[in-house]
Amino acid sequence: MWRRERWSADHSLPIGVTTRAAVGDHVRAGDIIGAGATLAGALRVPGARRLGLAPTDFDRELRVPVGSDVVAGALLARVGRRFPRSVTAPTDGRLLHITVDGDLYIAPIVDRWKVRATLDGVVARSDDAVVEVEGEAWCLQGAAAFGPDAIGELMLGVDGPGADLAASRIDVRLGGRIIVGGAQISAEVITRAHACGVAGLVAGGVPPAGLRVVYGDSVTAAGSPSRDDRPTVLCLMGFGSAALPRAVFEPLAALGGARAAIHTRSARLFVFSSAEIGRAEAPSPDVVLTGEGPAAYVPARPHADVDQGGAREEPAQSDEELSPSASDRGARGRGP
Amino acid sequence: MTVSTGTSAPVEQTRIALGRSLRVALLHGREATSRRAVAHLALASGAEIVARVRATDRRSFVEAAQALRDAKPDVVVIQGGLKDEAALAELLEALRLGCGAQRPMPRVFGLVDTPMARVLRLHASPFEFERFAAAPEIVATLRDLRRAGNGDIELRDALIEDAARALATTNATTALAVDVTERSTSLVLARPDGRIEAAHLVPLGLGMGADHVVVRASLDNVRRWLPWPIDAPALLERVFNRTRQSEGPATTEAAVLLEMALAREAIAHALRDAADAGLDVAAMRSAPSILVTGRVASFPKAGQSLLVLVDGLEPSAVSTVFREPDKGHAERIGMVVSVVARRPAKIQIVRASGRSAARVVPGSFGLVTMGADVEVAVDGAGVRGHGRSGELGVLIDARGRPLVLPERDGERIPAVAQWHAALQATAEDRSSK
Repeated sequence: MWRRERWSADHSLPIGVTTRAAVGDHVRAGDIIGAGATLAGALRVPGARRLGLAPTDFDRELRVPVGSDVVAGALLARVGRRFPRSVTAPTDGRLLHITVDGDLYIAPIVDRWKVRATLDGVVARSDDAVVEVEGEAWCLQGAAAFGPDAIGELMLGVDGPGADLAASRIDVRLGGRIIVGGAQISAEVITRAHACGVAGLVAGGVPPAGLRVVYGDSVTAAGSPSRDDRPTVLCLMGFGSAALPRAVFEPLAALGGARAAIHTRSARLFVFSSAEIGRAEAPSPDVVLTGEGPAAYVPARPHADVDQGGAREEPAQSDEELSPSASDRGARGRGP
Repeated sequence: MTVSTGTSAPVEQTRIALGRSLRVALLHGREATSRRAVAHLALASGAEIVARVRATDRRSFVEAAQALRDAKPDVVVIQGGLKDEAALAELLEALRLGCGAQRPMPRVFGLVDTPMARVLRLHASPFEFERFAAAPEIVATLRDLRRAGNGDIELRDALIEDAARALATTNATTALAVDVTERSTSLVLARPDGRIEAAHLVPLGLGMGADHVVVRASLDNVRRWLPWPIDAPALLERVFNRTRQSEGPATTEAAVLLEMALAREAIAHALRDAADAGLDVAAMRSAPSILVTGRVASFPKAGQSLLVLVDGLEPSAVSTVFREPDKGHAERIGMVVSVVARRPAKIQIVRASGRSAARVVPGSFGLVTMGADVEVAVDGAGVRGHGRSGELGVLIDARGRPLVLPERDGERIPAVAQWHAALQATAEDRSSK
């Protein structure tokens, strides 16, 4: 059921974080709260041994903070004046890790990644593994979710709680939106929506055979949150076909046009709107059938009906200032 | 006579549960013995294995670290020999990189000698590193973690082990307990001297663990046990929706038959994991006394429990089978005589009232009815042993080992239906399907 309260959403960060939001930062769903590098096989470079130092003393001589990007030949550590000994980077990459023995791991960078917030709120925890955001939103707890987190404008894709979302209703005009698909969405709809740039799909049920086609045979009923470029699907009721109860569907319709996010790890749909949908007399959608295609199912007065508080929701934000990660912050000025 | 006049005191209640889910990552040396040792630890403690990394793992340092981060282990169990020291130290560095920020931090349990523990402890910093001299100590500690400090919880796996031990002691034979629940599958082999070998697999069961059975066994392997045709998507939907249903015995025949199919594969995969961990699977299959508990023991008919057991376990000798539902008493349900014969053979069945001969044709499967609780000895066709018949009598299983099912639906479905019919495992009226 729908509940509006303060929620918490944790966002796992892959290895290789460069910058991340700091505790206390205010973020909006869609803001980048972490960014970093995708790393390939790391090289182990002798550090303390080469310099003739005890591992515990090696940190002191390090010229580059762990977590920094380095170029081949960059000086990493150095001791001595008349007879200097030094450690240099053997390749371009990221200084990733320093071992207990005082050796260094340097990994080439093959790609970059970003993690976006799925809640409007305040960063409550931030470290190299997780950024947790706490904030208030309307929330609908689902049964299972698949794929990466998704952020976009919520939009009704069907004209009733028992209807199935047809593939023909999906086109590129729905790119970036979270589409509510009624009782069931098929594998064809999921793949087509992904190809059209749809941010995510929400439905009462999804046939598990379709999920296997899209996500592989290892998919389970617990869901499969991931970071890779895959469709995002939230099953609200279960698997197969499940008509949405009116208490679920009507608020979904009323919230059409509002910013929303699917947090796949917790299988939750967050909607950021000040509309009061908890009351029994919550407005039902005015669906205007003006022809074929998804445009036919856009609520006629999305903001007028939904946003009774009067504040029109802004579209999802795509970029933001970031504070450096803890490992960057301390020694920023000591770079090579 | 003494009559108490005091106020009534509450009866001390013990709660039987699976305990909290404990996520364990296994880091082991390059030798197979090391791999088996850590797998055995995890299975014996009922922990969920979330990652396995070998000392000579092909994954890069970054990949290993990412795998450990994604696994979010509560405990990391590490085992290896002297020549694995450097490689295991590197894996601990990967653990530091991957899980350094995890809260609460994983604990590292080492089943290694003292000098090696000294080295590994350095590389495990800042994680808490504990060295254990013997495997049972780690198992006990892991179980304590599953209890999460709640002393009132009696772990289900410990209870199953007690039951197997009691059966072995009572009958003075090797005994096997097979337990399949919503979320777990257990095999416990107990010997008369009290020694046990246990494998508790989580999540692998008939409810919340049903989807894991399908992932591990494949949908076709579950479907092959159903005595009627069903298309894969419909079956998958039923299995996935089981994970969201509340606990309780199956009420329709279709649900019972689906649970039977899942239970067979759960038991077969528990056996596979037990073999992989170096447990004595041959002794499990030839145990003279077998106790079935949990959901498999709660099927409406004794024949259903017996059929699941013989299909999943594939016993190889003469066994007396008992079942004990969670809400009921133990009962002897039958005796299984497994015959592997290439040509028709005879076996002698001897009991107090006389002796008889049964002609066994390869592939045959059926019950020999006799009194409900009769001491029976069998001899011939490569099988010899004795036991007691139960409610169903003596089941002679000559389908061969390993049990191979026909691939084509047209041949397999009649065969499976015939096996169900032989043990009265299906109702006359199939309308409930």
